[in-house]
Formats: sequence, C-alpha cells, structure tokens
Amino acid sequence: MPMYGDLGNKLVQHAKRTQNLPHLPPYQAELVRSVAREVRDLDRDVASLLEPFQGSFDPSAEQATACTLLVNHLAIRRNKRCLLAYHRTRTDKLEELVWNGADILDLAGQPAPGPNGAAATSDANASSSLSPQEEDYVRQYSDLLAAYKGQWTDIDLTGSLEPPRDLFIDVRVLKDAGEIQTEYGAINLTKNSQFYVRQGDVERLIAQGYLQKLG
Amino acid sequence: MSYYDIDSILTDAEKIPCTFQLDVPELGYLDNQPGQTLKTGTKILLPLWIAEMLAIANTGDIDNKSFVDFDLPSALGNDVQQALKADPRAVPLRDQSAHFYALATHMMDLSDEPQLSATLRRTFVTRAAEISLHARKVGGGVGKGKGGASEEASNIGVGGAGEEFLRGLEEWERKLFRKAHDGSKAAKEWMETVKKH
Repeated sequence: MPMYGDLGNKLVQHAKRTQNLPHLPPYQAELVRSVAREVRDLDRDVASLLEPFQGSFDPSAEQATACTLLVNHLAIRRNKRCLLAYHRTRTDKLEELVWNGADILDLAGQPAPGPNGAAATSDANASSSLSPQEEDYVRQYSDLLAAYKGQWTDIDLTGSLEPPRDLFIDVRVLKDAGEIQTEYGAINLTKNSQFYVRQGDVERLIAQGYLQKLG
Repeated sequence: MSYYDIDSILTDAEKIPCTFQLDVPELGYLDNQPGQTLKTGTKILLPLWIAEMLAIANTGDIDNKSFVDFDLPSALGNDVQQALKADPRAVPLRDQSAHFYALATHMMDLSDEPQLSATLRRTFVTRAAEISLHARKVGGGVGKGKGGASEEASNIGVGGAGEEFLRGLEEWERKLFRKAHDGSKAAKEWMETVKKH
C-alpha cells in the first residue's frame, strides 16, 4: 500500500536517472503536483490534530498525538527535500547545457536525441521537456551568461578547450544561419553551401548544429 | 552528504525494522491497517527518514523511552556479516542494498557497532583492490554505460566470475570502478600520444 513519501521517492529516482543521461528527460509535472498535494494533505491533518488543543499542546502528556505529528512533519520535510533535489538536479543540467551553447529553442524542442528514448515515454504534448518555469530559467540564465561573457570581448569563455589543429576549416551549412561578421568580412550562411572559415568564428554555430565540420 | 545529494536521499529511503513502544491511534496505516490503532510492540519496516527521528526524538517521558526501537536491517544482519568475514569478494553487496556502505555508516551513527565497523573496513579494502584490478583489465573500447563495462569484463580471464563480481557492486563501489576505469583509460591514451611525438 502506498505510503507518504513514496511519490517523492519516485521523483528522486527520476533525478537519479537524469544524472546519467546526456539530455534532459520530460518534466514530471504530474508527479510534482501529486507530491505538493500530499504536503497539503499532511498539513491539513496536522491542523486538525492540533485543533482540539487550542494552542496548548503538551507533547509529554499526549505522546501518541506527538508521535503522529512527528511522523506527519517528517513526511512533509521529506517531500520538500525530494522536490528541491529533483528541481536542483534539473537546473544543474540546464546550466550545464547553457554553458555548452545549447539554445533555448533547441532545449524546448527536444526531447528525443536518441531514437528509442524519451519520445516513447513522453505523452501527447511532447513539444517541450521543460516546464514553463524551466524555460524561463534557461532564458534568464542565458542572459546572465551572455552579460558575464560580454566583459571580455577577445576571449570566448564557452569556446572549446581543445587546442585547434588548424586555424581554418571547411564547413558545410546544415540550416540557414543568416549573415555572420568575421575579420574577413561578412559571410552569408545559406543551407548546403560550403565555406573555408576561421574555426574560432564558427565554433558556436557548429556546437549549435548549424554547421558541420568537414574533413 | 549534502541536502541535495540524490544518493543520500535514496539511502534515507532504505527500510529498517522498528518496534513501536507506544499505542498510536492514527498511525495504523504504517502497518497496512488504516483506521486502526498501531499497538505497542508492533514490528514494522520503516524508511530511515522516519525511523531515525522516531528513535532519537525526545518523547518527554520520564523513563526517557523513545517512540520506537530499531534493529539493524537485514542487509547488515548477522548472516551477511558472517559471509563478509568469510570472503568479502563473494558477497554481491548490491543484492543487500544499492547503498550498502551509506546505509551502514548511517546505522553506525545511530548505534555503536564496533564489530560491524571492523568487518566493513576490511570488506571495503579487500573489494576496492579487486575493483581496481577489474577496472584496469576492462578493454579500452568500453563506453561509459554500466552495462557496457560489465559485458566487456568477460574477456579478462577471470571470466564469468569477474562479471558476477562487478554486477554485485553497490552504488559507491560503482563510482569507484568508473573512476578507476576512466583514470587508467585516460593514462593509456596519454601514453600513446607521448609515444607519437
């Protein structure tokens, strides 16, 4: 039979799985709601247990009630910890993705980079694996990161740590990315065209999947 | 053991046997009998996050009695301890508990178990050596996946026994295995680039 805290545990098991995945699985909105509801139910129980005492509850005189209250309180606290840990695991992952150059649109447009993965488990509204709050979080975090990076114009903090083998590389455009400015003038990146460009100029576009490195 | 640590939260969900020391009318549901009184002396399995606080909470009683008494969970029971004394490598810890060591250290915080502590220390040292041995032997082409690692383990001469051992690793040991494996792999890769130049 289900016990208080079981749902919270399920949420944490989701978080555990999330830690080992390269992408972010769909947000468990229903589960989160159920855990929050459980907390409200427990709070109501506590209130009704305390009601007859009119604010003068003596734990040593009413041990059985004290014990029940303690169990309820522990369950509330447990649920809180599960909820916080679940969301924190996800925001950690989101921050990591933002640092890796993921775009809010890419993230929202997931959920299935793997052929067999998330698509099967997610329900009808598979459009986004992020909750609206998480989308907001990513947007604001991206802004913060951009502002932080803006302090140094001649170094790209999110650039690759691998030293490049060649300064210039051949790239093919996978999807239209518009015009970019480089030291050697503007390049118009239209789909299926190829360019010989400086690696530093296009690294981000490669990471985002607009360009493919050749050779 | 951070508040947000997922493994620590899952450890707290491990169940331990408890005996209630008082009648509680509202808690019958803990014993699968909602609506009935939970009687003094009832033995039930409670998750650590309830059991711990009920066991150490001050009831305000004159005899300083707590709400529940608890025993060691079966994962740390006498049978397992004896088996570990005989040969630590032969016990699949994962079958006892996925968070075996974390559970054990938590239990030892709650009650004094000098014997258990000594057994576990010896267990860890023996098994850690074995883990590092396997981690070095596992083939270079292994991915990060857990399944991949243990599958490749079959080509290491120890054969099925090695695979069996790796399957029985609990969570902390798995982390150790992965670190040891990634470490020796990275060292190997680095050695190869050194030779080239």
